[in-house]
Amino acid sequence: MSRICGQQVVRWSLRLSPSLALKSAARAEQNARQFAFACRMLCSHAHESQTSRASAQQHGSELTLRILLDLGFTETQAEQVYEGVTRSLGKRSTTHDTSTITALLALGLNSSSIVKVFDKCPALYTEKGAVVQQRMQNLCKLGLVEGSIQRVISYRPQILTLPAKKVNAAVQYIRTKCLFTAQQMRDILRDSPEVMEEDLKHLELKFQYAYFRMGVKQAEMVKAKLFKVSMEELRCRHCFLERRGFYQTPDKKGQTLIVNPKLKDFLFTPEDVFLSQFAMATKEELDMFRKLIAREDEEKGKMLEYGDIEEDKEEDEGEEDLTDFRRGNMGHMGYERNKRKR
Amino acid sequence: MAVQTNTRVLLNKVRGILQFIQKRHRVKTKWAATSPKLSATDLALQNHDVMYNMQLGELWPSVRVGLLTEQKYGALVNNFSCDDTVMYLQSLGCQDFIASSLHMEGSKAADSVIPPYSESLQFDQPIEGTYTDLTRASISPNVKCFVFPKGDISRFKPARPDSCGYLSYYLMDAASVLPVLALNVQKGQSVLDLCAAPGGKTLALLQTQAIRFLWANDWSGSRMSRLQRTLKSCLPSELCSEDNLCITSLDGRKWQEVGENGTFDKVLVDVPCTTDRHSLVEEDNNIFSRSRTKEKQSLPLCQTQLLLSALQAVRVGGEVMYSTCTLSQLQNQCVVEQAMSLAKEELGISAEVVDLQPFTALFQDTFYFAPDMNVGVMVLPHLTANFGPIYFCKLRRLS
Ligand SMILES: C[S@@+](CC[C@H](N)C(=O)[O-])C[C@H]1O[C@@H](n2cnc3c(N)ncnc32)[C@H](O)[C@@H]1O
Repeated sequence: MSRICGQQVVRWSLRLSPSLALKSAARAEQNARQFAFACRMLCSHAHESQTSRASAQQHGSELTLRILLDLGFTETQAEQVYEGVTRSLGKRSTTHDTSTITALLALGLNSSSIVKVFDKCPALYTEKGAVVQQRMQNLCKLGLVEGSIQRVISYRPQILTLPAKKVNAAVQYIRTKCLFTAQQMRDILRDSPEVMEEDLKHLELKFQYAYFRMGVKQAEMVKAKLFKVSMEELRCRHCFLERRGFYQTPDKKGQTLIVNPKLKDFLFTPEDVFLSQFAMATKEELDMFRKLIAREDEEKGKMLEYGDIEEDKEEDEGEEDLTDFRRGNMGHMGYERNKRKR
Repeated sequence: MAVQTNTRVLLNKVRGILQFIQKRHRVKTKWAATSPKLSATDLALQNHDVMYNMQLGELWPSVRVGLLTEQKYGALVNNFSCDDTVMYLQSLGCQDFIASSLHMEGSKAADSVIPPYSESLQFDQPIEGTYTDLTRASISPNVKCFVFPKGDISRFKPARPDSCGYLSYYLMDAASVLPVLALNVQKGQSVLDLCAAPGGKTLALLQTQAIRFLWANDWSGSRMSRLQRTLKSCLPSELCSEDNLCITSLDGRKWQEVGENGTFDKVLVDVPCTTDRHSLVEEDNNIFSRSRTKEKQSLPLCQTQLLLSALQAVRVGGEVMYSTCTLSQLQNQCVVEQAMSLAKEELGISAEVVDLQPFTALFQDTFYFAPDMNVGVMVLPHLTANFGPIYFCKLRRLS
């Protein structure tokens, strides 16, 4: 693993160097040294904190417009970044340096992507470069390969504001609670890095809903990018299909009387396609349903809060069998039809 | 009496044997048991899926989701309340769907869909005005029913007694008011409500303030006391005197034994049915539970008998409104047709179906009416107008 990581960083750096178009050879050399350092840093796992600190010092050239231009930013970009930095850090801080930016450059992001990254996540201005590098390294360790890591960071730079510990804990939690394979987990991280910022309990509920209530297996959840969709939308689309007669919870053997549409086909698809191809309904109907199901869930939730959980207890007493779709420990998220009937 | 007990003993015996068979059967299924035992609401849904898919085709999914999602209510205004209920309800943002249909500009909405001539026209000789105008004119101006606009999911608060102790409104499926309205009760008429409990339609009938005499009957004594409580909480006692209101708890199938035949101007017969919406959510006493299979199967027969009673109770020239809250053709159109032919053959009573097209045309904006109905009218549940299901069909007795 770590070897692969190292190789990647070297490759990025090499690919990157010419594009920087630095004016002086001296600068180029200095930067090359920095990149080399960044590479080493990203690859080494043993002395993480020490090296990070060391690199922070090494990288600690104070951030100025000049340096930004030298690093390959256009004038407008440089001004934008510089303004962002001063706005975020204010006067109180003395630590604004180029280290975060060089770390992003080292990763292979070009100047315009970096501007966008800061735009999306101004909080990143206030993160220390060394820490950010360490977090990138952690993502790398978690299995984000070349190409993916850049895309993830461009798409969701917030992930670099999360402590590595927190990310690791989330990954661990998801893997143990939802039984995803390592590869599936990597795909989730790649496709839906925002899950790392979510409330893990919510996430688990979403998983349980898809697994028990809808009978969807992990591999399909990953393909469907389940975690990119809110619980409300998942619930709305699923129940809408179900109540229209187009979706059934599979029985213990995974059988249904009708062929269920694939989660990946109807969940992440635009609403008009969902309506015309899967629900065969009008937008007015779906809009009404969205309101009604939201209220149903809200009231169901309240009812459970007020201690109407005896039924649940009885049902949950059995072993937590991941193949029994009807019995999941679903909390209040919606298997009310089954429950009412028992 | 003796015969009755004998049959009961026999029935019990049969039941015993059935149980015995079932038990033996159960052991067997347990051995291979994988499917969970289906609840009555599950059975109801299965039944609906099979029957209504056939009947409604591609309309069924929209009706299905309507049935399985919270229904919309209407607030029937109690004209006898001392409060200004209309103002209160208007302040909530709702509208009296009856008044707004009747006061619509001109007759554009309705006239276009009425066939130029229909045999079963309600009015003997329409000389002036359009059918729509006449239909409008014949609808009681006193029945007011408020609903929240389309797309609005607000609910009404349960009605509470006003300063005089009367309820200011009564919450019911707004579509249930339609059969009452379509019955066109005129000033001074006598009306029989053959299956009246728990009394929503009875109350709507009384809101017309046109009825000279009302007979409310329901076989179920307990449900009848609910009706009495409802009437008591809405009407001044002088309106419930013996002269103008009679309440009984008889088997409507045996109405001819009462002797009041051919006397009523109007008869409402709102029969027991599979209550399609209700049977999907309520497990208790569900008509689809296995223990009630026989009863369920005999519903069309019972409904036909009740409609026959109604045809006997109404005077010649008078009108009968048959209604249900099921989508089932077997309990709707088929019952009407069956009863009409039986009435003719067995009782020598002929009747005709009254065309309700001009009537429903008035309420198209509020309700979703089933297209292509040959006999009677059906309000289909639909998320954008989640009322019903209600079926109703008006018959006029000719001889
Ligand atoms: C659909 S409910 C009537 C609802 C009522 N019209 C209302 O609007 O509130 C049907 C009623 O028929 C009654 N019923 C059933 N069998 C009957 C019979 N043989 N004679 C008279 N009533 C009967 C039931 O007790 C039940 O109350």
